Amino acid sequence: MAKRKPKENIYHKEKAYLQRAQDFIVSEGYQDVDATKTELTSIVENYEELLDQTVLITRISDRLQKKLDQTNNKLVSLNDQLNDKNEELQETIDNLLKAKVGRKATTYVFIFALVLFVFSEALIEPYIESYYANNIYLSLSVKALIAMSIKPLEMLVEDSLLKIARKQEMNRKAEEAKKQVDIEHKAE
Amino acid sequence: MDNLIIEGTKQSPSVNFNAANGKLELSGRSIPENSFEFYNPLLEWLGEYAKAPKDETVLKVYLEYFNTSSSKYILEVLKKLKEVLKAEGVKVKVDWCYDEDDEEMMETGEDYEDVTGLEFDYHEIEE
Repeated sequence: MAKRKPKENIYHKEKAYLQRAQDFIVSEGYQDVDATKTELTSIVENYEELLDQTVLITRISDRLQKKLDQTNNKLVSLNDQLNDKNEELQETIDNLLKAKVGRKATTYVFIFALVLFVFSEALIEPYIESYYANNIYLSLSVKALIAMSIKPLEMLVEDSLLKIARKQEMNRKAEEAKKQVDIEHKAE
Repeated sequence: MDNLIIEGTKQSPSVNFNAANGKLELSGRSIPENSFEFYNPLLEWLGEYAKAPKDETVLKVYLEYFNTSSSKYILEVLKKLKEVLKAEGVKVKVDWCYDEDDEEMMETGEDYEDVTGLEFDYHEIEE
């Protein structure tokens, strides 16, 4: 069981009044009419003070609780808005990343296509000329094949680059979150 | 008589009670772990101050938030301040400050004014 904190002594004055009244009841003075009247008057005054205090504190407490409630509702609403904005932001970041990766992929594929074209002109074309009697259909088919493979290749390269970029982004976020936790622990 | 100066924290308010000029200030947030421990020195100081107060004593209260046990002690502080009025020819006033649009805090000041009977001036502080 958790250790309870020692109780605050905020009502020590009121407890003292009560103790005094309790002590009086069991004392000899209780038999004395005048002493009893005096004590009763004191008890009534203290009770009135305590009641006024209770009414005031209850009113203040209810008001503050209402304020807390309103603030809490505002926070929940702001949190929802923040989450929506965060999703929008993440979408935008994703789109930007895709655009960036797309440009990179296009560059790589362009270079690759250039190399393939040079390779086809330098090696495949002479081979076709020598062994296939310069078959123009074969030559065109090879070139068409190279051309048609560019788009699928670009998509493949783009997907791979996007996966790598997303993984790097996740690792970066995980590192930042870890740093933040370390900073918070140090602050405590 | 020494002044009472307590630096504020995240849980307890700043206190600046100046016996030399009768200007008393209580500001910040009041949600201390132990309200008795925090407020008792203030009540003791006020008890001493009431024996030889300045002609005019002004208590400025500017609290952002306080918990229920603090509300009891704020009442005790105001009651102690009322004891200052027992001295002849002295004036006591409470400057109750609250943030813009914090109607709840203003109403709380009005409640304290009703119960204590002290003179309260209300000041809305723009953020």
